[in-house]
Amino acid sequence: MARAKRLVHPKGRRVQTFLRLLRYTFLRGLAVWIALVVGIFLTIMVANMGGYVDKIKKAQIEESINMQVFQNPAYQNLTTEEKRKLAQQLIQLEIERLELDKPFIRFDKYFWKSRAFRYLGDALVLDFGFAEHIHSTSGSKKVWIIIQERLPYSVLLFTTASLIVFLTSIFVALILSRRYGSIWDRMSVSLAPLSTAPAWFYGIILIMIFAAQLRLLPFGGFVSIPPPKTMLAYAFSVVQHMVLPLLAWFIAYIFASVYSWRTFFLIYSSEDYVEMAKAKGVPGRALERRYILRPTLPPIITSFALMLIGAWMGAIITESVFNWPGLGSLYMQAINGFDTPVIVGLTMIYAYLLGITVFLLDFIYAIVDPRIKVGGGSTA
Amino acid sequence: MDPILKVEDLKLYFRTTKGVVQAVDGVSFELVPQTAMVIVGESGCGKSSLAKAILRLLPRNTHTYAGNIYIDGIEAMKLNDEQFRREVRWRRISYVAQAAMNSLNPVVKVGNQVAEPLFIHNNLTKEEALNRVIEAFQIVGVPVDFVDRYPFELSGGMRQRVVIAMALITNPKLVILDEPTSALDVLTQANIMNALKRIKEEFELTYILITHDISTSSELALDAMVMYAGQIVELGKAGHFYLEPLHPYSQKLMASVPTLREDKELEFIPGQPPSLINPPTGCRFAPRCPKRFSACDHEPPMVNYKDERKIKCHLYT
Repeated sequence: MARAKRLVHPKGRRVQTFLRLLRYTFLRGLAVWIALVVGIFLTIMVANMGGYVDKIKKAQIEESINMQVFQNPAYQNLTTEEKRKLAQQLIQLEIERLELDKPFIRFDKYFWKSRAFRYLGDALVLDFGFAEHIHSTSGSKKVWIIIQERLPYSVLLFTTASLIVFLTSIFVALILSRRYGSIWDRMSVSLAPLSTAPAWFYGIILIMIFAAQLRLLPFGGFVSIPPPKTMLAYAFSVVQHMVLPLLAWFIAYIFASVYSWRTFFLIYSSEDYVEMAKAKGVPGRALERRYILRPTLPPIITSFALMLIGAWMGAIITESVFNWPGLGSLYMQAINGFDTPVIVGLTMIYAYLLGITVFLLDFIYAIVDPRIKVGGGSTA
Repeated sequence: MDPILKVEDLKLYFRTTKGVVQAVDGVSFELVPQTAMVIVGESGCGKSSLAKAILRLLPRNTHTYAGNIYIDGIEAMKLNDEQFRREVRWRRISYVAQAAMNSLNPVVKVGNQVAEPLFIHNNLTKEEALNRVIEAFQIVGVPVDFVDRYPFELSGGMRQRVVIAMALITNPKLVILDEPTSALDVLTQANIMNALKRIKEEFELTYILITHDISTSSELALDAMVMYAGQIVELGKAGHFYLEPLHPYSQKLMASVPTLREDKELEFIPGQPPSLINPPTGCRFAPRCPKRFSACDHEPPMVNYKDERKIKCHLYT
């Protein structure tokens, strides 16, 4: 096949490659998109308990309208019978307004008109509707705006945290894999279980020591109140607020991370080509860079990317403990307040980020590893 | 002539969960320049471990690594790892590994990998190095335009040739070939063996060829060493060994080599090679030996037989 490839004019080959890339991008994007649609639909079904939430909402409407009618001084003169009738009318109106009289989902020709399908359509264009209680600092109740406002905080904190943990553990793990069986190596193995305690647990302890006792660092939040006026002082204050959450995250993840990368590198450093490179006299650093890291870049990048978006989304308790105004504490607020639109919105953002990451990773693999060809399968 | 390689009482033991494996146990020999020594023996007899001990490619579970190795006049055991890397690795000894198919980094172009020792040891520029690589490719018979290819784009035979080109690139004096052709078909094997023979003459190289393929190795061998259970049992000129093996184990080994179109009953040796954890005292081959007698309970000495070879057997004392 390699022969045949060389017969084609290089220019023609480039066009071919481009077309193949285009076709692959389209198909791959479509596949990811379909997976996303299915995932989002399932989220909508679960968040609405397959329509059971309608019943809860109806009960809530009944209760609140009855309360309003029976306790409203304006209706004092009405008889109980009249009040009941009025309440019934108002309830009916509200139910019709929210379309709760129609089934949440139906599997016939009216599927396209059911609310489940409409929610799906809205979610796909990032229209998550309005939150029930939560609002953004700017005052909007639009879920998308609320999420947009919180996302940068989580991205800032957890990209920093993940990068620190990732780079440190790769660096330490490489050293340990070279000193297999040494005291440091055995220590890293026995320290790994420290990572079973979550970051917020270490967070609480760190707050107790550094904020409550020593008064060196703030208890939580993003910046001191009132915020400093100059850019520099503002940045310094933000960094001060980031120290403890970063430290908590670091302690919680570093040991397990070092341990797993060390094992990973131990496996890949016994490859034949690594031994060969050693025999060739490749010095230690270059050996690690070219013969251990380079060939294993795809799994390393994957692990980092997934860890990163996981951290942006999943640090619910840690963010709450440090009162960090990111997505995690938004999650906490939404869960505590039964704010379904916000929960669904957050879950969907996560689904989108995951989908985009998986899509991009395919191309990154092809760049870092010549064995992987985008749209490969046939070498032609 | 001064020996290019002199090994004295070399030991390489490994730590395992079951105990200490004596993979190489007190091996001594000398190589004169431009010879080719073939090392034969069953799988697990310590051939490859011997190669790794000479190259100081020690696994993580090394227990004992002792003895003396003189490479081209240098006392290798006295060097620290960094000195050894600078002075010996690929400057004096190069290596073609047993699993040559996996000896190439999958994500680096083969041209760069072959050129790498030149950057490390000779400080060549990229262009100079590339010219040398092209020369080396021509010598071993790899098409020149393969320099820009990745290992997975090459066939097994071509990859093997690339690895051999890599072993020659810095003009070392000694090349250790650990089963360089065992994964290839017979035609490719013959081709590569011929190339190795030609290269050896052209560049005045010394070879150590480790193999269990006795018939193919006879093409190249000038000296022969037979190993059994981590020890040398017979050592001498290849001509003597191939025509008239003396150690009972060597005899059995030769009798098991098939000959084309000849009505010959292939022999085999009953029993298993001994475990190298707590090997038997006395002669290690005694339990399987057809000629054993009372003396075999004691460790046999290395006997100088007619000054032409050494045999570790009581029959020749």
